[in-house]
Amino acid sequence: MAGDLVAGVGGAGSGYAAARTAARVASLIGVPLVLVFGYESVAMGPRGGALEEEIAAIGEEAIAAIRDELLAQYPTLTIDVELVPQRPVDALIDVAAARGAQVIAVGHGGSGPLKAALLGSITYEIVHRAPLPVLVVPNDPDDE
Amino acid sequence: MADKGLKGGTLGLVAVIVIGVASTAPGYSLAASIGLVTGEAGVKAPFIMLAAFVPMACIAASFYYLNKADPDCGTNFTWGVRAFGPKAGWIAGWGCIVADLVIMPNLAGVSGQYLVLLFNETAANNIYLTTFIGILFIIAMTWICWKGIELSARSQVLLLGTELVVLAVFAVIAIAKSFGNGTSHTALVDGVTKTYHSVKPSLSWISPSGLSSSAVIAGLVVAVFIYWGWDTCVSVNEEAKDSSKTPGRAAVLSTVILLAIYLITSFGAVSLLGPDFVTDNAGDAFYQLGKVALPTTMVKLLLIAVLTSAAASCQTTILPATRTMLSMGSHGGAPKKLAHIDPKRLTPDYSSYLFGGVSIAWYLLLVTVSHNTSTDAYSASIAAVGMAIAVYYGLSGVSCIVYFRRHLFSSAKNFLLIGVLPGFGGIVLIYVFCKTVWDSRHAAYGYGTLFGVGTVLVIGTLLLALGIPLMLVCSRKYPTFFGFRPDPPDLVKDPSGEDTLAAPLGTYRREIN
Repeated sequence: MAGDLVAGVGGAGSGYAAARTAARVASLIGVPLVLVFGYESVAMGPRGGALEEEIAAIGEEAIAAIRDELLAQYPTLTIDVELVPQRPVDALIDVAAARGAQVIAVGHGGSGPLKAALLGSITYEIVHRAPLPVLVVPNDPDDE
Repeated sequence: MADKGLKGGTLGLVAVIVIGVASTAPGYSLAASIGLVTGEAGVKAPFIMLAAFVPMACIAASFYYLNKADPDCGTNFTWGVRAFGPKAGWIAGWGCIVADLVIMPNLAGVSGQYLVLLFNETAANNIYLTTFIGILFIIAMTWICWKGIELSARSQVLLLGTELVVLAVFAVIAIAKSFGNGTSHTALVDGVTKTYHSVKPSLSWISPSGLSSSAVIAGLVVAVFIYWGWDTCVSVNEEAKDSSKTPGRAAVLSTVILLAIYLITSFGAVSLLGPDFVTDNAGDAFYQLGKVALPTTMVKLLLIAVLTSAAASCQTTILPATRTMLSMGSHGGAPKKLAHIDPKRLTPDYSSYLFGGVSIAWYLLLVTVSHNTSTDAYSASIAAVGMAIAVYYGLSGVSCIVYFRRHLFSSAKNFLLIGVLPGFGGIVLIYVFCKTVWDSRHAAYGYGTLFGVGTVLVIGTLLLALGIPLMLVCSRKYPTFFGFRPDPPDLVKDPSGEDTLAAPLGTYRREIN
């Protein structure tokens, strides 16, 4: 549905704060929230098969935890879940495009600009590549 | 829209080529092997460098097609199970882990030595210092793999660009000097003053004439190592489902770049002061050659190029080893713990710690042996890793033919790509392995002896052989996995068809009463 809010969730609580903010906004304006977990890990080296299965299991767990929390708080909110076998940035942009979303919400783990430029950072990359507005929400250290 | 990986950015073709070439680590591979290859083949080193590419390219075809049937991170392990059954698959996986483990001391040693050389030449002879730095290097690389850090495409282009430019400049200057008036250099080797002279490069260096078959094999077992990692780039690149022309062209271009850099650099290294100089300085050949050919700042750049290249090669060592362990654990053939994933980094954590820890222990063992005996266990590890690569790549070639046996004759393309090429590559590599086992049993093979047997043989086969008892222990502990059957040949899908994915591993199994 057009106008959805898309939020990226990673393992171990990263992106939970972004999902909470996105849920608050989505419930206020009455649109569905989509939680996305992109599970392609390091692009180099062998991957696929067993590695992706193990990572997908972590994604399911992480998403289920935050989904339950959000549903308890916003019982009428529609929350969809998408686990995508792509790099997190590509997963978020593709899901947002496919759903005609209006905003992407992502967490920010605190890597500085130099580290982000050298090592790459999901937040950094998505801010520069997304064709739609991006909402950056600092991760909550309590979630880890 | 479905952009994948670095192609999503603005770099496209360049980035894909960079990943392919960088994960092969040309600077480090050359630094570690050139002196050993000249030791076997003299001025014919460029021929050996080129010849080693042939079997590796053939095996890349089998990687490509087996990956279409099952793109599992366990690669050889998973394919071995599908083609031959759980026991053979387990051993193939072990072979891959062993190859990665055997190379770690060399990687750490070269990095330690080149890093010290950057600051102080005499300190590089201090084995305690270089070993200490080597250990730090292993820890850092394991940490990088565990963190899942991937350099951004831009940083990789910068690093690899520097590496290739420095190597090319070195080669051009070296070749130019030897074509001109030539140069000479006098050094004290084992108490004897030796004078080395330039040799004019000749096209005959890329022909095998005049080389004994033993020398060719001994050279090949070292040189297959320099293409290690290239195959992964082929299968990873090609697997992008949305591929337009980028991955195919990238694979071809990265191959051309790689072959060109190996060829001109080995020409340069051999011609500058002759092959003996390279052999006599096998441990730090590029540094010694660089000092003669290049201004001081360029020498530093050459050292940095080798160092960054060594760091990049953790892509071909730690990553495949930990992914194979993960696959073995995940499919139930080894302790489940190996498949544990760090929830934040999404990388196999337990496998990474284990591999890092064992690597350090193995490194210390080799350094101790090399330091206290006349055995050069450290250089022997390059030849030994060649043996492990030969065995597990050879098995992949054979697995490909066996696995797809019902589709071999369905088209000329299939016959060539899943039959002839993997078969040829597999046979060559297995022959290289067997011949090396036979030739290296005596001290005369070089690298000294351990327990009265050639060091290369001991290092190369001891760890491989250790896999058999371990496999037997696992087969008692994990009867479910060891009850898997090879995929029934009639149910194997045509790798050239539309749908190539095989049923999940473990679909076909022995009934347990």
